[in-house]
This record gives sequence, C-alpha cells and structure tokens, in this order.
Amino acid sequence: MPLRLNRRAPRRFYLWLAAAALLLLASTSAQAIPAYARQTGNACADCHAGSYGPALTPYGMRFKLNGYTDTDGNGFKIPVAVQINGTRTVPVQGQSGNALSEADIYIAGRVTDNIGGYVKVATDNLGDDHYSSKLSDVDLRFVAKDVNLGSKEATFGVSVNNNPGFQDAVSDLFASTQLGPPGVTGTLLNPSSPNSLANRVVGATAYGVYDTHWYGELGTYTSLPLSEQANLGYAPGGDPGKLSDTGYARFAYMKDMKKQFFSAGVVALTTRRQVPRTNPADNLTDLGYDLTYQYIGNRANIVQASFVDILELRHYGSLPPSPFPGVAAQSHGAVHDKTFSLTYTFLQTYGLSLAHMQSTSTRDIVRYQPYGIADTTSNQFIVFWTPFGKDDSLTPMANLKLSAIWFRFSRFNGSDSNVFGAPPGFPGTSAHDLDAFLVTASIAF
Amino acid sequence: MSKLRWIPSLRCVAVAGLYLGGALASPFVLAGDASAGSDVFKTECSECHSVREGRNKKGPSLFGIVGRAAGTVPNYKYSDALLQARWTWTTDKLHSYLSQPAKLANPGTKMKYDGLTDARQLDDLITYLGTLH
Repeated sequence: MPLRLNRRAPRRFYLWLAAAALLLLASTSAQAIPAYARQTGNACADCHAGSYGPALTPYGMRFKLNGYTDTDGNGFKIPVAVQINGTRTVPVQGQSGNALSEADIYIAGRVTDNIGGYVKVATDNLGDDHYSSKLSDVDLRFVAKDVNLGSKEATFGVSVNNNPGFQDAVSDLFASTQLGPPGVTGTLLNPSSPNSLANRVVGATAYGVYDTHWYGELGTYTSLPLSEQANLGYAPGGDPGKLSDTGYARFAYMKDMKKQFFSAGVVALTTRRQVPRTNPADNLTDLGYDLTYQYIGNRANIVQASFVDILELRHYGSLPPSPFPGVAAQSHGAVHDKTFSLTYTFLQTYGLSLAHMQSTSTRDIVRYQPYGIADTTSNQFIVFWTPFGKDDSLTPMANLKLSAIWFRFSRFNGSDSNVFGAPPGFPGTSAHDLDAFLVTASIAF
Repeated sequence: MSKLRWIPSLRCVAVAGLYLGGALASPFVLAGDASAGSDVFKTECSECHSVREGRNKKGPSLFGIVGRAAGTVPNYKYSDALLQARWTWTTDKLHSYLSQPAKLANPGTKMKYDGLTDARQLDDLITYLGTLH
C-alpha cells in the first residue's frame, strides 16, 4: 500500500512536467531549416525522409558532419529561416485550446567552407498576450573536410553546442529526436528530464569520421550561470545545477548502403552535479547504446527505426530528509530511459510515426513518493502530411506540415492510477488523465 | 484488312531498325530501361543533382546532360578539373565516367562518387539521363 502525504505542490509540478513534455514532444514535428535548402540547392526531402525534420537521412547526416557548410557554390545566401506553429490541444483533463503556439527564427548556414552552424531562437505563446523568447538549440562548428589518412578519407570537426546529443551525427539520441521519455526523473541525456541540461549548458566536442563509417566524439560541458540562463529566457526553477568534471563520449559505426542505412553506437556522459547549487554533488554517469535502421530504396517508401537505451548510475552526495520514521533515502540509484521509434513515409509526403517511451528507476520510497518508483510509460502516435519540399514540388525549399498527434501515458510516477497518491476521499488522477490529442500546423520558409 | 494489319508491323520493323542503328553507333544508348534508370537516379544521384533545368544542387543540373559539353551549366561553380575537361557527355563518356570513382575519372573534381559497378543499373541510368531533354 502506498504511503500518502500532502503533496499538492508536487502534483502541480508533475502536471506542469507532463504538460511541458507534451509541448516538447509536439515540437518534434518542427525542425525544418529552409535556409539550408537555399544554401545547398537541395530539397527538404534530401535531408529529411518526410520532407520535414527532425529525423535525418544519411545525406542529412553528412551535411551535419560537414558543419552545415555544403553549398551549391552559387553565391552567398542569407542564413535565416522562419517557422511558425499553430496547435490545437485537446487534453483529457483541462481545457482545449487553439493557439499560434510558437514562432522560431533560425540562423543557420555556412560562414566559410570550414565554419557553419545552427542557432534556433524560439518564441512560445504563453496565452493572454504573453510571449516568451528563449535561445533554443545551438550547434556551431569548425570542420576540416576531405582529410586523407592513408588511402582513406576522414573528416574532423569541433562543435560548440548547448544540448548534449543534439550535435550527434546519427541524430537518434534524445536531444536530436526530442523523444526522451517524459517522467518525474530521467537521465542527463534526456531533455524531458526535470532540471535537464538542454539549452542551459554550453560545451565543446571534438569529433571525427574515418572512412565514412567510424564516428567518434569527445567533449565536455558546463552549466550556464543562473543569470545567463535568465538572459537566454530560462526560469531558475529548471536549473540543471552546477556541473564539474563533465565528460561526453560517443562512438558509432555507420553503414550507408544507398538504399539502406544502419548504425550502432554507444554514448556516455558523466558529471558531478549540485542541485541546488549549494548542495553536495551527486556523481552521475549515463551509459547507453543506440541502434538505427533506415530503408530508403527509391524514396517512395521509407522506413526509419531507432532504439535508444540510456542507463544512468547515481551516487548521491546527500540524502533528502525522510518523512517516514526509520526509513532513509538510498545513497545509490539508477534510472533507465528507453525509446523505440518507427516511422513510415510514403512519397516523402505522407507519414505514420509511433514511439514507445519508458523511464524506470530503482526503488527509493523517499525520493519517489508515493510509490517508491518513478516508472513512466508513454506512447506517441503521429500522422502527418508534408505537401512540399520535394524536387518536383511547387517549392522544394519551404514546407508545410500538418500533423495529428496522440500522446498517451499508460503509467506515470510508478502507477497507472492515482499517480499522485491522493488521499482517500480525494479524486485521484490516472495516467490516462494526462493523455492529450494535438493537431499542429507548421510552416517553414 | 490484311493491308491494315501490315502497317503497324512495317512501322515496328522501321522503328526496330532505327533502334538497331542507334545501338550499333552507341552500345549503351538503348540497352537500358529508362524507368528503372529513374529509380537508380533517385538512389545514386538525386541528393546532389536535380533533373530540373536550371536547378543546381551540390552538383549541376543533369537536364540535357547527354550531348552537353563538360563544365558548361550556367550559374554552377565547377572545379578547375572539370572546367579544363575537353569532352562532351556522350553516353560512352558517361558510361566510362560513372563506372569508376569520380576522383579517378577526373582527378581534382568536386564530385564524390565511388562509381556504379552494376552494369545493368548503369545502362538503365544512362538511358534515363538520355531522356532528360
């Protein structure tokens, strides 16, 4: 039987967390950079199977590895793009609403043959004529291309970025797909985790690709001061804390067979983190692996599948006070985030996408109240239509995407019913009460 | 009635003769299947080349490629290696060029391509390229 406490504040926090996760996942339909299309002469569909991001084709991966510098050689192009999203949200609980939900400006493209980048500034509509602008993902690169190593070619580069995993070449990690499992806790590499590193840190990684197959990357990150986070549009409540001794490592094997693509990789992120910043440091280490497969064929029928599995080992620097006499918090713990995603795209225009996301934790009755585990299981189903962005489209370099998204929770905070542990006599909230249906329209130009 | 039946047959013979003559002059021009070649193009070439006239990507437009002098697409910045090339893209030249790594076919070229070693696919592709006019 679960222990029950007065947890009104955590309930609000978790509801906010679920809503934030939905918004984050809804924005997965929105990652198109027409500035790159104008720079290269490519159609959106060359880099994105569904003619709209974020999932990359092997060609898109190479463009990213080359530091966003590839060009059609036909003069300077203004490296700016705009995206506008409108959303109809229908949650199971709470009010439905229509909103011009987000407007994004991208500064994205090449500076020289060796320097390029991606910068996204997002403005969210908070309702009641309130808007919030923030610096979203950043990935600035210096790259040395076509380096001869013996009989093989290699590419080397440096990325300065603010979201570990966003810069990844395969782009299947949570920071790239934005399909990190939502929940009440989560791994460092999961932007859906509370107090996540995403966009509130800055780091540099050095990477290399040898013989087009072998990809390696090493780097480090530090969190931005609270004042800088505020300047960039982020509230202090989501502070990832103070980071020290932080290391990021990534290795992957990629095989592009023209009609098919396969990759297998491992990733690690370790740090000492103080949350709040005056607390003793927790030692956190993420260890993960990822697998991807794409069937591309003649581009008429495209299947993209990926599986990402991240285990976080935690050695806590302090124990939170226990409300239960004789019961103390654990000094060690682990969190496990997994996502399987599958997308089918027909004629680079019509698509079906599903994702199964699972976050589990080791048992700790003090940290994960009321049930002692933080397990959360959720699914996302998307149907989308992208009429433009192909070579033979009315416009190959801009696009519209209409999506219908159903997001469901089958388990939240360790339970499928009464997930916040409401005391007897009070209405409980089931995991399905957090479900939502969304319709989004995105245009990018 | 029988005369009418003969007309399409004679037409077939005439067309076959034209095809045969073309094939003897250029053994690759009609050997392939243009429809299959379109799929080969999408897999092998479409990321870097467009078939639309005037549309350059990382590589130049391939509209009208067969019979075109090398390095002459307007508004495309060629490598010095291809600018100095003195050939015309005949089906024979395309066959030779595309059947090997581009850096061997034209040292110094910007084009990155390992070559298409499947002879059937290469014939289909070149047949398809020949239709782009």
